[in-house]
Amino acid sequence: MSLWSRIANVFRSDKIDHELDEEMQFHLERRREQLAAAGLTPEEATAEARRRFGSALRAKEQSRDVKLLPWLESLLRDARLGARMLRRNAGVTATAVVSLSLALGACATAYSLLDALVFRPLPVRTPDQLVYLVFPTYNPDRPEADTFSDPLFVALRDAGTAHIDLFAMSTQVIRPVIFAGAEDKERVRTQYLSGDAFELLGVTPQAGRLITPRDDRREAAHAVAVISHAFWIRRFGGDPTIVGRWLTLEDRQIEIVGVAGARFSGVEPGRPTDLWLPYASYNPRAFGNGSFNWFRIFGRVHDGVPAPQAAHALQAAFTNYRRDRAPRVSRDESQGDVARFVATPLYLRSAANGPSPLRREFERALWILAAISALILIIAGSNVANLFLARTAVREREMALRLSIGAGRARLVQQMLVESALVAGAACMVGLLFAALAAPAVVTMLATPDDPVHLDLRMNWQLLAVAAGLTALTTALFGVVPALRASDVAPIATLKSGGARSGVRTGAMRPFVAVQVGFGLVVLFVGGLLVLSFLRVSNVNPGFAMADVLLVGVEPVEKPDPQQQRVALLGLLERLRNVPGVRAASSGEYSVLGRAWTHNVRPPGAREWIEATMAPVTPGFFETMRIPLRNGRGFLPSDAATGALGSVVVNETFARLYFGTDPAVGRTLETRFGSDKSPGLHQVVGVTADTKYDLRKPVAPTIYIPLMLRSNGTLHVRLAGDPAAIVTRLREEVRATIPPFRVTSITSQAAAVGRTLLRERLLAMLAGFFALVGLVLVAVGLYGVLSYSVVLRTQEIGIRMALGARQLSVIRTIAADAGSAALVGSICGLAVALYAARFVQTVLFEVTPFDFWSLALPIGAICLAAILAAAIPARRVARVDPVIALRCE
Amino acid sequence: MARQDALQGSLPLLLLTLLARRGPLHGYGIATQIETMSDETLRVEEGSLYPALHRLEETGWIKARWSTTETGRRARIYEITAAGRRQLESEEQRWKAITAAVGKILKHA
Repeated sequence: MSLWSRIANVFRSDKIDHELDEEMQFHLERRREQLAAAGLTPEEATAEARRRFGSALRAKEQSRDVKLLPWLESLLRDARLGARMLRRNAGVTATAVVSLSLALGACATAYSLLDALVFRPLPVRTPDQLVYLVFPTYNPDRPEADTFSDPLFVALRDAGTAHIDLFAMSTQVIRPVIFAGAEDKERVRTQYLSGDAFELLGVTPQAGRLITPRDDRREAAHAVAVISHAFWIRRFGGDPTIVGRWLTLEDRQIEIVGVAGARFSGVEPGRPTDLWLPYASYNPRAFGNGSFNWFRIFGRVHDGVPAPQAAHALQAAFTNYRRDRAPRVSRDESQGDVARFVATPLYLRSAANGPSPLRREFERALWILAAISALILIIAGSNVANLFLARTAVREREMALRLSIGAGRARLVQQMLVESALVAGAACMVGLLFAALAAPAVVTMLATPDDPVHLDLRMNWQLLAVAAGLTALTTALFGVVPALRASDVAPIATLKSGGARSGVRTGAMRPFVAVQVGFGLVVLFVGGLLVLSFLRVSNVNPGFAMADVLLVGVEPVEKPDPQQQRVALLGLLERLRNVPGVRAASSGEYSVLGRAWTHNVRPPGAREWIEATMAPVTPGFFETMRIPLRNGRGFLPSDAATGALGSVVVNETFARLYFGTDPAVGRTLETRFGSDKSPGLHQVVGVTADTKYDLRKPVAPTIYIPLMLRSNGTLHVRLAGDPAAIVTRLREEVRATIPPFRVTSITSQAAAVGRTLLRERLLAMLAGFFALVGLVLVAVGLYGVLSYSVVLRTQEIGIRMALGARQLSVIRTIAADAGSAALVGSICGLAVALYAARFVQTVLFEVTPFDFWSLALPIGAICLAAILAAAIPARRVARVDPVIALRCE
Repeated sequence: MARQDALQGSLPLLLLTLLARRGPLHGYGIATQIETMSDETLRVEEGSLYPALHRLEETGWIKARWSTTETGRRARIYEITAAGRRQLESEEQRWKAITAAVGKILKHA
């Protein structure tokens, strides 16, 4: 019989019992018959047969131990008994399960998000060999860069061949694509990659073939594309005839030659790629152009080559490349800057889990949430421990009885632990369900309509293992003390006194109270910081009037020539201004808080180039956004009509930084677009009030320039009334323009601003929610302990009151135990909280741990919770009638 | 009690030998065999046969099946397995070696 059959036998122990009985019964009967035949009376025969057989019970027990796993069987028996006991105390059980499952669910959610975004390696061949290249930029806003240009890539690839195979994968861009047979443009996340990328990654095709080096030639017959498996299923329902279909991207016909393997969804966790295209089919202007940085360089280190050796080979090529380019830079840069530029190190970063801007943005936030979830688990676990401790008092009689009929103490401890494990196990299952719903909900909070986020959150064995581990840990941490306490009874004394123990048993609860209050304070403190930070950052004045502005994305239905398009756009804006209910309309390259790009600018003759934010806009923009003009004028149609970069408007910060107290209007500026372009001269015609392009950062020096020809920008439309009534009319006007446009997106300015604060909002909402949960758990926990003490000490209260003690002093005596524990807990908690604050500091906006509100909020909340928790037990004390209480004795 | 203790360690050997020589038997049959063959010198507490049998069964040296006796009752019949025979052989060797050694000491000591 194998272990498995012994385990199986445990679950059919009734049958085993029956068979053992039958076998032994057979023996006894045959012996009796034999003895009777030998002349004994039936009674004598029966007695003699029994005597010879010995203890049938012992034999049976021994055989059972052989056939079954005794420990498993006793566990199972305990589980059945435990389930019965738990059902009997449905209220306590439900409280325990609900609070634990919320906590375990939060932990599982945090883990499954971290797993998908941070831990899980890419589904490619030996991901540990994959690296990507980065180098420092010496710019504190963005300290590291990981995009490269075509000439640099070629130089590095050729230099590294002995040690590392380099391949290029572009940054992902959502582009409009028309599939053959479909009418509309679809927004598809695309990526260009070099011909050997799939092979070096170790991706295999699901259908057709993948992009090969032969496709990756600029003179290739026609462009090809490969779609991802997920996109194939989502868009084409897994249609096997997909290979050989055509699509149109930026006016080019492209053939779909294959579908990538099911597991591979690109190299950027969170942003799965839909469509891959060969590197060589990218914008022709990018090739040979050293200032067109548009892709990451990945590499697979050769077997047996240490990474530093590969890095060394690449560094030499990188330095050479930079030295060749240095003269062009050095014209304006100081000597030290040039030296630093040339000596810039090149790092190999592990790409085992894929480079991910999403991870850079949210990893810390997820860790913070994971830590908060863990604290909630500790708080909930302490609660459950105290609930169980309180219940052991009620069950002392049962325990005493079992001890007195010979059960070992270990057996009782096991019984109690099994009950704890049952509760934790049930909570774990509910928690996993909770996580299955909560994790996708959190993912949707990370996404915007322009930037869909998809994380692969399927339940895997790692998640189940983590959940099981946490469950076991919870049982161990919070089940052992109640179990030891419960089994620690003196049978005779307990049975004699009828079950109620005279001694006060809240002592064991004190550490749990302290832990609960302490960690509760930490959660409240951190949650409070995050909520306060979010409130501050969302109340920042952006410098323009957000309300009533719609952002409308448009594109021409058919591609006109640039000049015609520009006229059409200005015509469209004019049409919109005449719509009733529209106050103002204009266009800007970026919705004010969207992405903005920066350029180096300086007054002529100045040594230093300074980075300024560039904002291309049409005339009427300042009026639409209600950005006040401080000096000079805004843009005129004449500025825009030429499309030249003659006139610019700057903001106050720019004026102050560049011109000091001198008037800015009338001054000239020199701009440089990348290091290859010759400088251009511009005249400042106006100064506006400051606006913010990033709410989290100080006002950036900003230059407004006329919107260029090739761009339509985003239409900014200020409405007088209800947007719903006007939107249809806006769409009609857009379509009726000659040549016609089409609306690609409509959103409110307020929503667009809100989207820039996703991380802050996510943290504030979830941390705030958990702070409330923590507060409720602490209050419930304190309430439980206090009301339990009142029940235990009713007689003592009666005596004290009979002797003339005042109610308040009695209450104080009762609460002293829990109160002192809570005080110790909160002092420790505060220390921990202030330490923990260092880890959230980087995501906070204008909030520090020592602000009045940062401290007052959590401490006040805990005090309030404690007072509320104490109120009901205190009233019960007040109601104790000494006569009744003493008569109970 | 002393007699039973003497038997304790060698009970498996005894059971295997019986099943090897006498063919399939039920527990009661084994008990009577031991009784008659040892002239009642080795009287075991009959109940203790069963855990021993079940332990051998668990190890895989014997196997058991239910069969109906001539009187119509169900009995559990034990039979030695190939592994059991191999075990028996090595046990026998060991037993003989031990008894020989003990005999030698008794003789010459």
